[in-house]
Amino acid sequence: MKKIVTTLLVAGALSVTLSAKNWVVNQKGKTFIPSKLTVHVGDTITFDNSDPFAHNAYTDDEANEFDVGMQPTGKETHMKIKSKESFNVECAIHPNMLLEVTVE
Amino acid sequence: MIIKLGLSALLISSTLFATSDMSKWIRPNEVPQPKDNKLTKDRIELGKLLYFDKRLSASDKISCATCHAPKRGWTDLVPVSKAVGAGRGPRNSPTVLNTAYLRRLFWDGRAKSLEQQALGPIEADVEMNMPLEVLIPKLQKIQGYVKLFNKAYPNEGGINNKTLAKAIASFERTVLSTTAPFDKYAMGDTKAISKKAAKGYKVFIGKAHCADCHDKFNFTDGSFHNIGLKDGDLQGKDLGRYNLKRRAAWYGVFKTPTLRDVTKSGPYFHDGSVKTLTEAATICASGGRYKNGVKNKSTYIEDRHLTQTEISQIVAFMKTLTGPDMKLKIPTKFPQ
Repeated sequence: MKKIVTTLLVAGALSVTLSAKNWVVNQKGKTFIPSKLTVHVGDTITFDNSDPFAHNAYTDDEANEFDVGMQPTGKETHMKIKSKESFNVECAIHPNMLLEVTVE
Repeated sequence: MIIKLGLSALLISSTLFATSDMSKWIRPNEVPQPKDNKLTKDRIELGKLLYFDKRLSASDKISCATCHAPKRGWTDLVPVSKAVGAGRGPRNSPTVLNTAYLRRLFWDGRAKSLEQQALGPIEADVEMNMPLEVLIPKLQKIQGYVKLFNKAYPNEGGINNKTLAKAIASFERTVLSTTAPFDKYAMGDTKAISKKAAKGYKVFIGKAHCADCHDKFNFTDGSFHNIGLKDGDLQGKDLGRYNLKRRAAWYGVFKTPTLRDVTKSGPYFHDGSVKTLTEAATICASGGRYKNGVKNKSTYIEDRHLTQTEISQIVAFMKTLTGPDMKLKIPTKFPQ
């Protein structure tokens, strides 16, 4: 019984350590909020859009390349961290918007 | 080196202050400068000589200032520019004014800095048509330039592609708008613009949604849009930013231009197809020149149902964004 409990505890601890986390980034005032993130491989980033107009988050970083496409107000989009390469996210419409993602 | 700005002087000397909702129209106190090309007097003066020197073109007849002339709103006032020879470029000459604040240069944003931008028109066959492998040795034979480059950029290898780009970019970084009537209005001087223009400002930031893109002190947020100047898809036509990468959002999009000194820089839009501010405002606020069936037309371009009176108010407002020409001594003698 003790062995089973110990095994469950270890497994539980591992799952907490390894479980992917979801990070929420809002697009508001033509700014990514927050503008910097530290994430792990397997995590996801959810992009919200609180601006009254469309955005289009993307990165050209080869290891984590994604393009959420045109994202109107209120729509939610997601991207998954695939590789341990840090990268920058921009908006395809507003290049002044910059999100720095550090992958650990 | 901090470039002291005319508007900053106004801030100090005046008892006027911008209210919080007007503060976004006030210019930042300093001009952005890259770490490896900080502004110095030597760099600016060298860049100015290069900017106006026609020997930088294949024909010795065209300088940067030919298509971006200070007395023509830093443009050339024609729909598309004349190139070396008999040709013409494909796009309207964009103003150099306030480009120091932009993160993307050219109509399609293909350059990320003024240093990246500076050499493009020199080499372009539809512009100055001067290959750098020809230009650099040509400049290296001009002893006056050798001395000036060594002074402005010591220990950077003399005259080369990088120092040439840095010098021209340094001068371009000093091409700045001056205090316009609207700046005084934003600082609290309610009489600085007419009542009609003040109404136009309200329409501009409100019903017409112009400020969705023509935002902040430079009246551009640097964003890219397809505003529906052409109908249907653009087969065989200018694809804009899409030429850089086949990203769906970039199909037929071009950069939002500044509205600073806009009365000096017509004709308007990337193809120079519009002669008046009235026509430009009407196109943008009525859903584009072509309303339907435009591939990737910006969702920002909608019919805002403006009246003719409101359009004329917006135009009156835009005219208040023009200030006096910046002080500039144009060189007439060049290094030999």
